[in-house]
Amino acid sequence: MKLDNVFKKTRLPKRKNPGAADAARPEVPEGLLRKCNMCKAAIIAEDAKKGNYICPKCGGYFRMHAYRRIESVADEGTFEEWDRGLSTRNPLQFKGYEEKLAALQEKTGLDEAVTTGKARIEGTEAVLAVCDGRFLMASMGEAVGEKITRAVERATEEGLPLIIFTCSGGARMQEGIVSLMQMAKTAAALKRHSDAGLFYITVLTDPTTGGVTASFAMLGDVILAEPKALIGFAGPRVIGQTIGQKLPKGFQRSEFLLEHGFIDGIVERPQMKETLGRLLRLHNAKTPAGFGDEEKSRPCLKIPAGMDKAKAWDRVQASRKKDRPVGKDYIQALFTDFTELHGDRYFGDDQAIVGGIASFRGMPVTVIAQEKGRDTKENIRCNFGMPSPDGYRKALRLMKQAEKFHRPVICLVDTPGAFCGVEAEERGQGEAIARNLYEMSALKTPILSIVIGEGGSGGALAMATADEVWMLENSIYSILSPEGFASILWKDSAKAKEAAEVMKLTAGDLYAMGVVERVLAEPEEFTAQNIRAVTEPLGNWIEEFLEQYAGLDGEELARRRYQRFRKM
Amino acid sequence: MIKKVLIANRGEIAVRIIRACREMGIETVAVYSQADKEALHAKLADEAICIGPAPSQDSYLNMESIISATVVTGADAIHPGFGFLSENSRFAELCQQCNITFIGPDAEVIARLGNKQEARNTMAAAGVPVIPGTKEAIYDAQTGLKAAREIGYPVIVKAALGGGGKGMRTAYAEEEFEQSFQTAQKEAQKAFGDGTMYIEHFVQHPRHIEFQILADGFGNVIHLGERDCSIQRNHQKMIEESPSLALTAKLREEMGQAAVRAARAAGYVNAGTIEFLLEPSGKYYFMEMNTRIQVEHPVTEWVTGIDLVKEQIRIASGKKLSYSQKDVRLTGHAIECRINAENPSQNFRPSPGTITDMYLPGGKGIRIDSAIYSGYSIPPYYDSMVAKLIVWAKNRSEAIHKMQSALGEVIIEGIDTNVDYQYEILNHPDYLSGNIDIEFIEKMQGDMV
Repeated sequence: MKLDNVFKKTRLPKRKNPGAADAARPEVPEGLLRKCNMCKAAIIAEDAKKGNYICPKCGGYFRMHAYRRIESVADEGTFEEWDRGLSTRNPLQFKGYEEKLAALQEKTGLDEAVTTGKARIEGTEAVLAVCDGRFLMASMGEAVGEKITRAVERATEEGLPLIIFTCSGGARMQEGIVSLMQMAKTAAALKRHSDAGLFYITVLTDPTTGGVTASFAMLGDVILAEPKALIGFAGPRVIGQTIGQKLPKGFQRSEFLLEHGFIDGIVERPQMKETLGRLLRLHNAKTPAGFGDEEKSRPCLKIPAGMDKAKAWDRVQASRKKDRPVGKDYIQALFTDFTELHGDRYFGDDQAIVGGIASFRGMPVTVIAQEKGRDTKENIRCNFGMPSPDGYRKALRLMKQAEKFHRPVICLVDTPGAFCGVEAEERGQGEAIARNLYEMSALKTPILSIVIGEGGSGGALAMATADEVWMLENSIYSILSPEGFASILWKDSAKAKEAAEVMKLTAGDLYAMGVVERVLAEPEEFTAQNIRAVTEPLGNWIEEFLEQYAGLDGEELARRRYQRFRKM
Repeated sequence: MIKKVLIANRGEIAVRIIRACREMGIETVAVYSQADKEALHAKLADEAICIGPAPSQDSYLNMESIISATVVTGADAIHPGFGFLSENSRFAELCQQCNITFIGPDAEVIARLGNKQEARNTMAAAGVPVIPGTKEAIYDAQTGLKAAREIGYPVIVKAALGGGGKGMRTAYAEEEFEQSFQTAQKEAQKAFGDGTMYIEHFVQHPRHIEFQILADGFGNVIHLGERDCSIQRNHQKMIEESPSLALTAKLREEMGQAAVRAARAAGYVNAGTIEFLLEPSGKYYFMEMNTRIQVEHPVTEWVTGIDLVKEQIRIASGKKLSYSQKDVRLTGHAIECRINAENPSQNFRPSPGTITDMYLPGGKGIRIDSAIYSGYSIPPYYDSMVAKLIVWAKNRSEAIHKMQSALGEVIIEGIDTNVDYQYEILNHPDYLSGNIDIEFIEKMQGDMV
């Protein structure tokens, strides 16, 4: 049965005063509702405002005004603005430009497209520069370049870390070549800031393009981005028109950059302040008082008794056991505040290597682990712990970063070997491994490597050119897998068992040969459940190591490391 | 006076409200989701406007869309019905900001009564009995024992983070307390990682008794007697009746007065319901106040002769109550059965689909509130209730006979319904004798197995 237009409409009564003015008609007051420019839905403006300027319907991010942004990350009342009122001299004498600026200043209450100053974030002092897209799409003219440069210089003078929230269309056309020069000027100031050993974070927000991407935006020690922000050098429309092709979905968005290794992480707005605060703290921490000087219950043996009893092949199998703890389990058990940093800044972000900054009993350290993953899904994502060149390059990037801040590096080695495949060769697997050995040998900060599972060949050595190398009781470390060894020498990979016995790949053998310094006992049936049995004594050993090495200067460390391998 | 009402709801309640408006000469605007294009409420209203995709979140709960629809159609009031946005204080506040009359209490009153703890405190302060319990968290059995003694047995020990019956134990006497407390705490510790406990009086074999109230903006508050809604499955009411066999005239008077005090204390205006648990001993406790029209309002309408929806609209228009307490007399007996599109033999699984044919009973003392028609497709997105069958007769036993007869006439083809299940209840000796409490369905299910 269809019911279209079958019912009679309501018969309205005669109104007593049909002409009488209606009481105030329902209407939506100005500003109560607004339209989300992403999902096009009507939303309650107040909800977006209270919710970090995120659309409550689609979760999309609205652009944030500079002062709101500062309020959202700075501790209340701590922001001190610098260089307010500084504006451009209109270098090209561009017609109508000054009037346009005056109108924008009037409309936005801003003096220029960037606001700079100093604030505390979760208690740590930092210099802040925040771009505001309402002002000529925060394009970089001389005023923007100058304000940023001054802020960077002052940060350098005062020895302060720096955070820049970028948002920009790029260069400011009205200022021509002068605008272009701001790229070099800001980059140069940042180089000095970095050379002074100071910390710089950039937070890329939508959109960060053109000359800003190609200067200060991409120079952070840590580069964070907001979700789905457009980030790129040439704009997508320009690229599309130039090459005449349809661009892939998600092209030049934060997620795309993360996948391609150019940013350290994507941070949601509600977590931004906490993330920045944590990163600043990790770069501000001094060695905690009492670190290492207390007598801990250290295992006094450098190698557990009775190591030679088990068959080498049994140890090979134990090292590969599916439920053996993986890199992430150790990170969780040994460190706090672990902040993962992604990407090699060249090509990609290899999931077979997980790295970042963390706190070890109050001391900031860089942790880099070869990661096999905990279940099949993770195994596949992590390529079963077989790193690609991008993984080694990421590791090296993080080590160089650690060197800058004289932060000790702790590597967890667990790989069957570097990934063997076409793509790996295309991108220079050999070069990547070689580069790591070369740079690590002289890295001016302590490096400790711990073999927690398989130490497969060059793929392992690229994370074990260290001051000391330790092994777990059932870990192995070898020139290649017993299967490979048997196949090359005896043309029969089935003879892996015999190979294992002659290869001297167990922790006990390697200790005896002086390849490793210490061997750590494991419980029987070692899994993530009882990982504490290992990580507690291991933690004490690490504390001892850091106590011993963190005080040495870089040259001395490099000299000793040279000698360590020179002997072999 | 309100001239045009937008009904921010669907199904039978939307139809019910549209009918009241038509009778009052008020224009109506229906809103509907993309799944409800053919729904009766959308066809019956003077105007209908689509407010979004099928999921409630995007349509019937989409405040911005509904407000925009109201402004666009020039309606001056919104009736929220029940469910959806009816008890959303934020929505009521938005209406206020947009100069739209929200047919219900003020936003602030909704918010206050929606907060369990605050509602309880308001009621306790107004002298409305609440379930006695500890105000502070209890961490050990010894402190708990003292508290239990003060509260009076039986008591129930509950985990602060509890849910799903976990970390909950009753103790009927002091000897059992320690054991119960420790078991509950251990369970809570295990399930929620927290052993913070509360203790309250355990209400045994209660009936669900609720009082309908009406309050205008001039300080007049009256109650319209009770509804006995003890026949529930998983806290979902199935059958409601008025009056309740369990209330003497004296108790009705006493509870009615408590309900009026409760409404006054909350600063309540419009129609509302105060829910109580009533013990066989005659002790009763405040549970919560519902700040909207209820599904079961027709039984009250029938025994009092008062049209609740019309009164709601009148009150929202700023008019005084048309009745005083002395005008309210409960006459005869009314029973309502909810007809749901569900399959009782498959654990009441919802049964959406197309109604291929239907025949509904009629005659003296029979009322049907529904939104279904032959050929209508029940969408799978919303509540499964499709109709309410209400009967009235001189007394309970005649009303039961009328309901039995009427249920026997209901024919809805194409979907599964709970009609036969309701018929079983109506023939159950305990139901017939009025020996019911909120555990009735659970017991009946047990007997069937």
